Amino acid sequence: MADPLVETKLLLPRPRREVVLRPRLADLLRRGSHGPVTLISAPAGFGKTTLLASWFATAPSTPDDDHLVAWVSLDERDREATSFWTYVLLALDRAVPGSGAAALTLLQSGQAPVETVLAGVVNELSVHSGEVTVVLDDYHLADGVDVAAGMTFLVDHQPPQLRLVIGTRADPALPLSRLRARGELVEIRATDLRFTVEEVSSYLNDLNGFDLTAADLAALEARTEGWVAALQLAALSLRDRDDRTSFIAGFAGDDRFVVDYLADEVLSRQPDDVRRFLLDTSILDRLTGSLCDAVSPLPERAGGRSGRAMLEALDRANLFLVPLDGHRSWYRYHHLFGDVLHAHLLEERPGDVPDLHRRAAGWYAEAGQTEAAVRHALAGGDAERAADLVELTFRTLGRERREDLIRRWAHEVPDEIVRDRPVLAIALIGGLMASNEFDGVDLRLDHVEQLLAKPATDLVVVDRDELPRVPASVKMYRAALALIGGDPADAITRAEQAIEAAVDGDDLVTGAAAALSGLASWTTGDIASAHASYTTSIPALTRAGHIADVLGCSIAMADMELRLGQLREAERTFSQALELAEANAPAGSRGMRGTADMLVGLSRTAWYRNDLAAVAEYLRRSDELGEAASLPQNPYRWSVGMARLRAAEGDLSTALELLGEAERVYVADYSPNVQPVHATRARVLAARGDLAEARAWARQHQVATDDELSYLREYEHITLARVLLAEHAATGSRQTLQDAAALLDRLLAAAEDGGRMGTMIELEVLRAVAHHAGGARGESLEALGHAVELAQADGWVRVFVDAAPVLTDLLRELATSQPQSGYARELLAAVTAAGSAAGGAGPGTAPAPRPVVGLVDPLSDRELDVLRLLGSDLDGPAIARRLVVSLNTVRTHTKHIYTKLGVNNRRAAISKAHQLDLLSRSGNR
Amino acid sequence: MNTHPAGRHEPGCYEIRLQGRLDQRWSTWFDGMTLTTSPDPAGALTILRGHVVDQAALHGLLGRLRDIGLPLISITRVEPDANDGQDIAAEEDDR
Repeated sequence: MADPLVETKLLLPRPRREVVLRPRLADLLRRGSHGPVTLISAPAGFGKTTLLASWFATAPSTPDDDHLVAWVSLDERDREATSFWTYVLLALDRAVPGSGAAALTLLQSGQAPVETVLAGVVNELSVHSGEVTVVLDDYHLADGVDVAAGMTFLVDHQPPQLRLVIGTRADPALPLSRLRARGELVEIRATDLRFTVEEVSSYLNDLNGFDLTAADLAALEARTEGWVAALQLAALSLRDRDDRTSFIAGFAGDDRFVVDYLADEVLSRQPDDVRRFLLDTSILDRLTGSLCDAVSPLPERAGGRSGRAMLEALDRANLFLVPLDGHRSWYRYHHLFGDVLHAHLLEERPGDVPDLHRRAAGWYAEAGQTEAAVRHALAGGDAERAADLVELTFRTLGRERREDLIRRWAHEVPDEIVRDRPVLAIALIGGLMASNEFDGVDLRLDHVEQLLAKPATDLVVVDRDELPRVPASVKMYRAALALIGGDPADAITRAEQAIEAAVDGDDLVTGAAAALSGLASWTTGDIASAHASYTTSIPALTRAGHIADVLGCSIAMADMELRLGQLREAERTFSQALELAEANAPAGSRGMRGTADMLVGLSRTAWYRNDLAAVAEYLRRSDELGEAASLPQNPYRWSVGMARLRAAEGDLSTALELLGEAERVYVADYSPNVQPVHATRARVLAARGDLAEARAWARQHQVATDDELSYLREYEHITLARVLLAEHAATGSRQTLQDAAALLDRLLAAAEDGGRMGTMIELEVLRAVAHHAGGARGESLEALGHAVELAQADGWVRVFVDAAPVLTDLLRELATSQPQSGYARELLAAVTAAGSAAGGAGPGTAPAPRPVVGLVDPLSDRELDVLRLLGSDLDGPAIARRLVVSLNTVRTHTKHIYTKLGVNNRRAAISKAHQLDLLSRSGNR
Repeated sequence: MNTHPAGRHEPGCYEIRLQGRLDQRWSTWFDGMTLTTSPDPAGALTILRGHVVDQAALHGLLGRLRDIGLPLISITRVEPDANDGQDIAAEEDDR
């Protein structure tokens, strides 16, 4: 979170020092604490926040379990669903560590719908042992179609451990009538919140010590209608006043808007400097000493106190301020009073308002808080300054991945300002594109091109060095639009133009355009070109400081290198990216996002080398880094990596389970899915002898022997060949073997044509198997010899081990007869070692016993049953039904499992369990 | 909606009645709507009257009313007065 004030949004407000105890409201809240949704809906100034803050600060927690509170103070910016859920998930994860982190990763990637994100949260909470209340204060500020969709989903799927408390000025767009009908809604409304005469008495006489008569109290109650904001103002007006009764009589006899009447009273009784301070600073949505000094400078306030001293004095006098943090450095005005103050300012000194905003903009710009600086500059009518700020900060914001801000400005900065500012225009385009908002971008690009045709003297540019970079950026964004529009050929052409047009040292445009070109080539299956493009893009993006993009490109690049047979290069790509990620780890974190993915990548290259100890170690390290260091795709890639390891160890049923998990947590990205999980699963099925299921896979995904071949589906077709070979081994069908052999020959020709040596190695091994099965020993030896020759340089091993024991004899023959037999001997040694360790990984063979890394406190059988189901997509109640136990039992087991494994969420429990190999033993009962 | 002379995207003139007497100063707060108060046997009334550019602007205005907690009595679409300063008569419908 780049927003330094995020803490203030998630902090449970401290209850006011003096509050009237309101047992009837406490009763309602207590009832609410047993039901799913509590709604506190009333106009401004009815004491909603005060009520909730004091309730949650003092509510007795249930003795047997922790009851946690996740508080979010919402504001207008949270109408955007991503912003809203980011804060909610942050708050939730703080209250219940482990419950929101994975969802947050997924949310911020923008690669999954909100419902999917929330489904993960619901699943996690549904097995959690404690209860958590999410308080959404000022919900009316965020309510809208964006937020309501996710909230409705959450209410519809709300686990019993989760309670929602919504404080709002307007009823939310949620299925309230349904909740009411089911008795699932506790409502506290204005009539409940209004102060009774007794409470008015308690507030004014007991707390404020006024000693008012019953008649006075009744008059105040009637006139204010128990509105606490008005009572609070009345208390301020009554302070230091001798003629209280006559003041109350005058007030009661007046028909002016109560708050107006009383606020006038209170304001007129303030010294000039205080009054001026209040009005000046009413333009701010948050206040701190130095900001107030900037907005309302001391010399202009007679008898001026510093902003900090003034805020402290106002806080002590209970004048409108709400503290936003624990150490009273940031405040805001109570919304209603802030509005009143602002109305006074607008009426009395409208001419000063723009200046006040400009000063605020200056302070925020100085403090490096561009978002607030731009907001105030725009509010102050200083669009030029706002534009300057955007031009000066968009590169930093891009590196920090805060394109969401730039996207918002694209809609707020007036068109006439953008009209002659090409740098601003291109910055806004970048924000829109990064936020997946493509509508109208082509028109904006046309406009920039028109600007570039004008003489430079007609253009407004803050940083002249930026101007020469614009033309290449235009072409780069055009390339991106072409790719998104489904025209990779056009994208490649335009990306080349962008690289051509890039000025010396514009690494960002060069790197981004090359990456686009690479992605475009990849989607067409031209990996040689794609690889060449990524070779340009990675170092350029590294120089530009866009490390997150470097990591993404590295995964793509290594994937291609593996197909091309460059195992060493792939290792180097992952290692370098890992080093870069580690060097750029944000302070206090376990690693930047994507670091864990590089480790999974290295586990994959280690697997090709058949270094299983290294595979396990990389997977362990990746898991240890956790969600915050992972891209949204890492969970599925990790499970695939672990499945490979388990399969290599001979435990095919655990491998299948892991692949099932991988399919459940699969998240797509922009890259073509060239190695789908379902195909990997089919390979394991074939290896295990589950031929009917493997055949069903081919039908379901429409993989057939007579398909036209392309690189993009190569992995699936090779899988089909493996399935056919396994089938032949089982049935002896000649036709199946012929089909397999023909498919392999065609695949080999295509791979050879595309220079995909990695694929060729695998195909030659499979051809050797096919010829061997057909009794053609000579051809078999020839194919295997070719595979060994290709595998030698980079040290491919695993593909040969997987083909054992069928090819072991042939390898032995190669090892002794071939002139260059060194590598064949190495492979033979590896195959023999694996064979004796795993006892042969053929169908039906039992997995070899592995060294057991025990837990200090082992899991019980029942806990293992629960643990297994935690890896499914069943929620708590469904798990309970499956095991025929109560939900509470599931929750208790889950709590014990988490404690014993030292984790705090389901996914971490499962990956830890797989590492410790807890699940496979129970899986092989 | 082009066939409808006062569709949702058209500007319009509205009269909003509120309970209580609101000071003149709030006129600016309500985006320059005229603010008049009328004594009423049942209690004072404030009438806001003016022009909004579209429905979104109208809802923004209602949000501001909500934010200061004023009881809303009625809201009516009206024919613009000559003194509203907006020549939009042609766009008004007959409601």
